[in-house]
Amino acid sequence: MSVSDLVNSEMSAAEGMPVDRPVLRVEDLSIGFDGVTVVNSVSLDVRRGEVVGMVGANGSGKTTLLRTVAGLLTAESGEVRIDGLLAAQSRSSSAKVEISNSERARKMAYMPQLAESHPFTTLETVLMGRYPHLGRFELEGSADREMAWRAMERTSVVEFADRKLDTLSGGERQRVVMARVLVQAAELLLMDEPTASLDLRHQILTMDLVREEASERNVGAVVILHDLSLAARFCDRLVLLLEGRKIADGTPWKVLTPENLRVAFGVEGLVEPDPVTGKPHVLLLGTENSGREDLVGAGRTVHLICGAGSGRALMHQLRVAGYTVTAGVLGIGDSDREAAERLGIEYVGAPPFSSVTDDQHESHLKLVEAADHVVLLPMAVGMNNVRNVEAALVSSNLLVIEPPGAGGGIGDDVVGDYTDGMASRLRRQMIERVGEIPESTLLFELARGAL
Amino acid sequence: MAANIAGEHSVERVTKSVSVLRRLYVGALVLGGLTVLMAIVAASVGPFAIPFSHTTTTLLSLVGIGESTARPAEQAIIESIRLPRIFLSFFVGAALGISGGIMQGLFRNSMADPGIIGVSSGGAVGAVVAIATGLSTVSAYFLPFFAFIGSALSMATVFLIASVGGRFSMTTLLLGGIAVSSFLGAITTAVIILTDDLNVQREIIFWIAGGFDTTRGEDVRIAVPIIVIGALISVFVARDMNLMLVSEDEARSLGVRVALVRNTLLVSASLITGTAVAFSGIIAFVGLVVPHVVRLVVGADHRVLLPLSALGGGLFLLVADTAARVVLSPAELRVGILTALIGAPFFIYLLIKTRARMIGL
Repeated sequence: MSVSDLVNSEMSAAEGMPVDRPVLRVEDLSIGFDGVTVVNSVSLDVRRGEVVGMVGANGSGKTTLLRTVAGLLTAESGEVRIDGLLAAQSRSSSAKVEISNSERARKMAYMPQLAESHPFTTLETVLMGRYPHLGRFELEGSADREMAWRAMERTSVVEFADRKLDTLSGGERQRVVMARVLVQAAELLLMDEPTASLDLRHQILTMDLVREEASERNVGAVVILHDLSLAARFCDRLVLLLEGRKIADGTPWKVLTPENLRVAFGVEGLVEPDPVTGKPHVLLLGTENSGREDLVGAGRTVHLICGAGSGRALMHQLRVAGYTVTAGVLGIGDSDREAAERLGIEYVGAPPFSSVTDDQHESHLKLVEAADHVVLLPMAVGMNNVRNVEAALVSSNLLVIEPPGAGGGIGDDVVGDYTDGMASRLRRQMIERVGEIPESTLLFELARGAL
Repeated sequence: MAANIAGEHSVERVTKSVSVLRRLYVGALVLGGLTVLMAIVAASVGPFAIPFSHTTTTLLSLVGIGESTARPAEQAIIESIRLPRIFLSFFVGAALGISGGIMQGLFRNSMADPGIIGVSSGGAVGAVVAIATGLSTVSAYFLPFFAFIGSALSMATVFLIASVGGRFSMTTLLLGGIAVSSFLGAITTAVIILTDDLNVQREIIFWIAGGFDTTRGEDVRIAVPIIVIGALISVFVARDMNLMLVSEDEARSLGVRVALVRNTLLVSASLITGTAVAFSGIIAFVGLVVPHVVRLVVGADHRVLLPLSALGGGLFLLVADTAARVVLSPAELRVGILTALIGAPFFIYLLIKTRARMIGL
C-alpha cells in the first residue's frame, strides 16, 4: 500500500465513509498490435457515480483502451477489474478471468463509436440490451418491454419504434444504441464518442442522460469525447492520453490547461470559465504553423514583460494569432527565455539574477517603443529586474494582466514583490491608468483593438 | 421527472411489432398447414393420379388415425415412391432455407446464399468424386459423405481467404466464393469430360441439375436427422446471431462468444447444405429467396426467421418439386431447373429493389 493509499483510506475513515471499491480498476495496462505499443502502462480507477471523460488526440489510444476494458481486445500486460473481479486476461499473465461473458454484460455496457446500420427495428434493437438478463430461450417479457419503451422515451426514439435501423440517420441510430445501453442496466458504462453524430441539442441531452445514470443509478462511466468543453461540462474527471500514456488525470480544471492542449493536441487554446456552468471552456486558437496573412495579429507586434514562465503561454498564443512577439529583459535560465529561444522570439538577454544594466535597459526601451502593444505580466520582481517594470511606463499602449486567481479563476499564486513595495507601487500606478485584465481575455482585447 | 431528449412533448408508444412467440406460432401454423395440404396434393398428383380422399386416409392411417380407403397399388405408390420424395424435398428445402438465413445473417449480407460462397460447388465436387470413382455404388453413405466433405472444405477455404485478423471482408468473401466456385466448377467439368463411362457422365449431369426422382426411403432416413440436428443447433444460437448481425463488437460486449457461435453456425450450415446437396444435387436460389421473403414478412429476428425459413423453404421446394413432376407430365423437369427459372428473375428483382443497400430490405 502506498503512502497516498494510506492517506486516502484514513481520510475516508475519518469522514465515516466506507472505502468503496471502484467499479472499474485498470492497472498498468499495456496493449499493442504487431509489436507496436498503442497503450502504455495506463492505470485508472472509476468509482460508482463518477463520469470520467477520456480525451486525447487521434491515435492516442483512447478507443483501444476502452475496447480492451470492454473485453474486445487482449492486453499485453496488466489487469482490468470490474467490481473487483478480474475481467480481462492479458497475454503475459496466467490469472484466470473471474467473470463470465454474460455476467460481464450485465455489469458493463459498451457503446461503440459507430452505430451500425442493420435490418432490425428500433424496438428490437433496444430489447437486445435485455439479452444478458434472459435465459437462452427466455423471451423478452412485459417488464423488458416496459424498460425498452422507457429508454426509448429517454433518448427520444419512440417515434422510430418500428423503423429499421438502416432507414435511420447516423445520429438517430446513435440514440437507438444509447437506449440499448440504458436498457442493459449495467453498473459501468463504456462509451466511445456517444455524441459523435449528434446535433448540438442532442449532445447536451445525451450527456445529461449519462450524468443521470451516474447520479440516480450510481453507475460509473468512461466516456471518450472529442469536444473538450463538453467533456469538462459533464465529466467529474478527465483522463488525458498522449501516445498511449496517461499524461493527466484529474478535475477538468486541472487537466484542461493551455500547456496540456499544446502537448497533447498540438494546438493553442484558451481555457476560460464557461459563463453558464463555470466549468472550463476551451477556445481553440489554432496550431503553431497556421502562418496565414489574414490573421488578426498579422503585421502587429506585442511586447511581453514577463519572467519565470509567466509569459510562456502567451508567446505561443500570440504567435498562433499572427502577432510578432518580443520580450523584455530575460535572464539566462529563465523559462520564458528558453521559450523565447525555442520560438525564435526577439528578446533582450541578461546574465542570471544580475541587475539590468543601462545598455540592456536601452535595448529594452527600444523594443517597448517599437511594439504596438506592451503587456505587463504578473511576475516576481526584485531589485535586479525592477527596471523591466519601469520600462512598461513609457508605453502608450499598455495592458496589465491580473495575477491568476484574482478574477474567480483557479490557483492563488501571489506575485512576489521583493523591492520594498517599489514594484507594487509602479504596478498600481499603471493599473490606475489602464486597468487590469485576466490573461485569458488578452487576445480578445487585442482583437477588439484591431477591428 | 427524468430528462427526455425530446423534452417538450412525449410521443405515444405505438408499435405494429408482434411478439417473437406470436410471430413464430402464427408463421408455423400457416406454413405447417399449407405444407400438409401440399403434401396431400403432392401424394395425389402425377402420371398415376390418386383421389385426394384416398391419399388423405392413407396419410392419416400412417400416423395411426383410421384405415386407408386406397387400393393396395395406390398405397404402395404413396408409401414407397411419393412419400419419401415429399419428405426429402421438404427437408432439403428446409435445409436450404435455414442455411440461406444463416449465411445472410452471418455475412451481414442479404445477397449471400450457400451457393454464392462455394458450398454447393464444393458439395458437387465431393459428389462427383464419389460417382466417378464408383464409390457411390458401393454404399449409399458415400455420396452424402463426400458431398459433405466437399462443402466443408470449400466453405473453410472461402472463409480463410476472406478473414483478416478475425474479421470478414464482405467483398473478399463474395469474390473468394466466386473464385472457389469457378475453380470447383472446372474440376466438375473436367471429371465429366475426362470420364469414359457415359453412364457416369449422365449421372453427374443429372445430379448437378438437382432433383428428387431417384429418392428412396433410405435417403430420407439418412438426410432428415442430419438436417434436423443442424437446424436445431442453429436455432439454439439464433439470438446470438441477432447481436452478431448488429455488430461483432456489440455482440461480444453483450456476452456472445462470437468465434464459437460463428464456428458452430459454419459447421451446422455446412452440414445441412452439404447434406441437401448430396441428396438432391444443386438446387439454386431457394436459400436466397426464401429467407428474403420470410424476412420481409416477419422481420430480421433470427429466432423467428430461421425456423420459418426452414418451413418456408420446405414448402417452397415441395411445391416446386410437385410442379416439376406435373408440368411436362409424363416427362419430368428437374426441380433445380425450375427453382433457377423462378429464382433468377426474383434475384434480379431484389437487386434492382435494394440497389446500393447491402443488408436490410
